[in-house]
Amino acid sequence: MIRRWAAVALVFGLSAASMVVVRSAGAQDDRAHQIGKKLKCMCGGCNDTAATCYHVGGAFSGPCDTAKGMLKKIDQRIARGDSDDLIVQGFVQEFGQVALIEPPHSGIGRLAWAMPALYLVGGSVVVMFVISRWRKRPQRTPQPVGTSSPTGISPDLLAHARRRVAQETED
Amino acid sequence: MDVFGSFALLLAFICAAYALVGGIAAILTRHPLLIKSARQAGIATCGLIFLATGSLVYLFFSDSYWVSYVVAHSNHDLSTFYKVAALWSGQEGSLLFWSFLLAIYVFSVLLVYRNKNGELMPYVGVVLAGVQIFFLTLNNFVASPFKVLAAPGANGAMEIFTRADGNGLTPLLQYPEMVIHPPNLYSGYTGFTIPFAFALGALLARYPGEKWIHLTRKWTMIAWCFQTVGILLGAHWAYAVLGWGGYWGWDPVENASLLPWLTGTAFLHSVMMQEKRGMMKVWNVWLVFCTFFLCILGTLLTRSGVVSSVHAFAQSSIGNWFVGFLLLAITVCLVAYVKNRDYLKSENQLDSMISRESSFLFNNLILLVSCIAVLSGTLFPVFSEWFSGSRISVGAPFFNKVNIPIGLLLLFLTGVGPLLAWRKTSAESLKRNFGWPLLMGLLAGGVFFSAGVREFFSLFCLLLCVFVTTTIGMEFFRGAKVIRARTGTSLVSSAVELTMRNTRRYGGYIVHMGMVLIFVGLSGAAFNRDVQKEMPPGGTMDIGPYKLLLQSSDSKAEPNYTAQRMIVEVWRDHKPLMMLYPERRFFQSNEQSGTMVAIYSTLREDLYVVYAGQSPETERPVIHAFLNPLVKWIWFGGVVVVLGTIVTLLPNRRAVLVLTGATEPASRSHPASQPLVPSVALKESHD
Repeated sequence: MIRRWAAVALVFGLSAASMVVVRSAGAQDDRAHQIGKKLKCMCGGCNDTAATCYHVGGAFSGPCDTAKGMLKKIDQRIARGDSDDLIVQGFVQEFGQVALIEPPHSGIGRLAWAMPALYLVGGSVVVMFVISRWRKRPQRTPQPVGTSSPTGISPDLLAHARRRVAQETED
Repeated sequence: MDVFGSFALLLAFICAAYALVGGIAAILTRHPLLIKSARQAGIATCGLIFLATGSLVYLFFSDSYWVSYVVAHSNHDLSTFYKVAALWSGQEGSLLFWSFLLAIYVFSVLLVYRNKNGELMPYVGVVLAGVQIFFLTLNNFVASPFKVLAAPGANGAMEIFTRADGNGLTPLLQYPEMVIHPPNLYSGYTGFTIPFAFALGALLARYPGEKWIHLTRKWTMIAWCFQTVGILLGAHWAYAVLGWGGYWGWDPVENASLLPWLTGTAFLHSVMMQEKRGMMKVWNVWLVFCTFFLCILGTLLTRSGVVSSVHAFAQSSIGNWFVGFLLLAITVCLVAYVKNRDYLKSENQLDSMISRESSFLFNNLILLVSCIAVLSGTLFPVFSEWFSGSRISVGAPFFNKVNIPIGLLLLFLTGVGPLLAWRKTSAESLKRNFGWPLLMGLLAGGVFFSAGVREFFSLFCLLLCVFVTTTIGMEFFRGAKVIRARTGTSLVSSAVELTMRNTRRYGGYIVHMGMVLIFVGLSGAAFNRDVQKEMPPGGTMDIGPYKLLLQSSDSKAEPNYTAQRMIVEVWRDHKPLMMLYPERRFFQSNEQSGTMVAIYSTLREDLYVVYAGQSPETERPVIHAFLNPLVKWIWFGGVVVVLGTIVTLLPNRRAVLVLTGATEPASRSHPASQPLVPSVALKESHD
């Protein structure tokens, strides 16, 4: 009964947490900010987006001067009526591919996206291979030695089994 | 004192060299006096490093502005508290601090095990001395913190001169967490040297038995705990100081700290396979080696400038030394392995695909994939430039997309692994163990979905959190129920008793619970939102259920900085809730300014308010407000992880069977007349 109540309380507790999330949902960033999130801040001292560069080691913490300049430029292009893609491409033309915060889905950028999946697939294949190989190995059971007990199990074998059970069930 | 410090460092280098050479000679000759002298040289090395570090601290406290490092990182007005932090705020001091923390570990190991593990310890001592020599080489000959300011005098000879005041500490480091974050993180990095030394030492010595793996596990646990705390404190610092509203930006320095944590976590799981079943010895040894290599690689990345990082203050050309040391360490480990690989032969055998062993294999796979994905993502800009000539950026969005699914897989295994039996899990056991957690997870998923959570990863994450919490809760409940039935104590007392009887297992569950809480916190990130607005006094801003009213601003002059403070009144449901005071500080000594974020934190969400400066056009204050759901769960989860780790390190309280003479109540006055009936009583003891 207690278990059931605890379970119900748990679900409701975590549901309450989700309500918070639901109530907060819905991003309100302006367009320049959203475009800034696709671009890397070109201050050269960080790995942040133009929208979130508040880096250490620059002039100060808080909005980075370079990032602020980039956001201002985005604002100007929005005012000019440029599309999001056109604005992003403008930065790529100015600075090169490095202006994009994430690798492009073309050229060598594809490799960056493929690598984690390759690691996972390759690793899974290796693990499955290892498991199947280890499963095929014959069981090595210690041969009964010494005087057999009435049950047919020698004291040595029994002691060995007890040790093993204790070892394997402790954690 | 600077001469004293330099001399102490030089002597430490000589002692470490003796500990290495004498240790090797001791291993070859097995001469007891040589073994003792090598160990004592190791202890002396540590003592001398302590003295050198003490000297540098003294130079900071005595405002010795003829020492270059003190001038660069301190000033008269810097408070005593931050003068301690100045020790590790630059390259030279942080390397000395590294040696200092390593010396604490080495000192402890050499002292604690001076009369134990006689065959193993000389090898361990040699490995530790080798690592110490590398760092002492940097301290003495590459980046000495005791360099003095000197200029040609009237007669052309170099003369020492003293500056009136120092440049001061970087403003970003003048924050309480910065006094505890680096020591914790460095304690993690340096701490992984000890399991490395035990593993390499055992391999070189072909040390019989499994004792070395227990020692390695224990020291890995300690280093892992420090690394976890260091990472979380760093995240909290980034959150509370930088003013960008986030806690993890996948900066190369952050990634560097995560890499050894991931492999260390993998080892802490796979080591159980070796302890229980004698399996995976080669894998475990290489996990320990790789964890150490990743500590060195991480340091190389953060200090060499190979990848652009926000931690620009630590960049220098010192990277080559780390490359050399890393290559040397890899070579030594490879040679040791090739020569002694038969020593690591183990009977790897699995009875079933559905078993605890398999779950550990997959757990290791996921952790390793995450580690390699983070590493390759961090280095990809460099590789892309080498191969294609154009540098490709890999920023936070990439790492989030890659690591969120991996993290969820890991969370799933966190729930599954502990419920699978060693060797083979029967269908009945699967049904018994997973029925409730699955049901609860699905039920919670339905509740979340119907409540409007539509963001897939957040929904799935919360569902898994309920699943894992139920599995952990059931484990405690089942065990506690048995103890309660036997002892009659309450369920909570029984759960505590259960935990103390098998600290490793139940401490591990507490750690898992902490990770669940962290994941709950992370799931909120999908719903972060922010508003930035110019606000004149009396101006208002709405964000979520809150209304911010900028009442006024003031400024205050502190000895080391001047602060401009915004006075913001927070309203909720048409009622005033509280006041927040975001500020910007201007540090006169180095003419830098920094933000001080004001946060109203609850379990539901953080209202995070930044004074972003004045608008250049209108000169009005710009307020940037963020609403970040569930962030507090992350910090709370971190505390639970640390508590769990401490529990795992405690010795087990054992229930010992004691035979006592029990008699019938009526015949208590005549015990001798009654036959002795043996019964079982529980007695507490510790192992």
